[in-house]
Amino acid sequence: MSVETETSARVATRTYKPAMGAGWWLRKRHYFWYMVREFTALPLALWLLWFIYEIQRAGRGASGYYAPNSTAFVIFSVICLLFALYHSVTFLSLAGVILHFKVMDKPVPSRLVVASQFGAWLVASIVIGAVLIGFGR
Amino acid sequence: MSTKPGAAQKPALAHLFWWFMFSQGGLFVAVLLPVHILVQGILGPLGIVRVVDRHYDTWISILGNPIVKLYLLVLISLPFFHFAHRLRYLLVDLGVHAAKRRPVQVVFYGGAVAVTLLTIWVLLTTAPLSLG
Repeated sequence: MSVETETSARVATRTYKPAMGAGWWLRKRHYFWYMVREFTALPLALWLLWFIYEIQRAGRGASGYYAPNSTAFVIFSVICLLFALYHSVTFLSLAGVILHFKVMDKPVPSRLVVASQFGAWLVASIVIGAVLIGFGR
Repeated sequence: MSTKPGAAQKPALAHLFWWFMFSQGGLFVAVLLPVHILVQGILGPLGIVRVVDRHYDTWISILGNPIVKLYLLVLISLPFFHFAHRLRYLLVDLGVHAAKRRPVQVVFYGGAVAVTLLTIWVLLTTAPLSLG
């Protein structure tokens, strides 16, 4: 192997280390909203952990159970709802890119795929909302 | 990347499993969670609508239903596999490259498994099974 070939082989196997600071996502609005989308996981995980606790408290019996009423809890839920809606819109909108169907050998337009996902979200929300409210007193 | 001729290619089953859990978890969060937060977290506590978890008797009654238990297990546990992936990559994006390594994967996905087991335990011990 010539010296030149040896050198180029060494160069080719070097690992590329991108120099990006921790604040790269603050540079552009698009990057910021990408990070917000990733961050939605944290408040939603906290709300679901609260939900497990809400279910567990029912095991304490009638005298030990109380429904959440505090203003802090409502504010917490409002914040979580905003993140949940952002997750729903971004996640379901991606369906048009990810899912590809053919009907009669013709591809279904991505706009129709996305519309079906949002339709499913609407129907599921109505059904679940009806159950949660309908079984209440 | 090249593969030696004749070498058997192993299907990436583990990869397939975790991506399936990630995508299904994300779908369940997107479709099911907002209405729970709206009704149980805002409208109910504000007294705008009657909600099943506002009173012990209605709440414990519906929690005993096996279909509700199964629904709640899916609603709660699958999203945590989605959250595990997103939060791990959030750390990577913030410059914490160690989050790509195996021990961190074990912590995050193990956390999702732990939440699943906790949810099963809570659902089985809180309200007795009832078909009524």
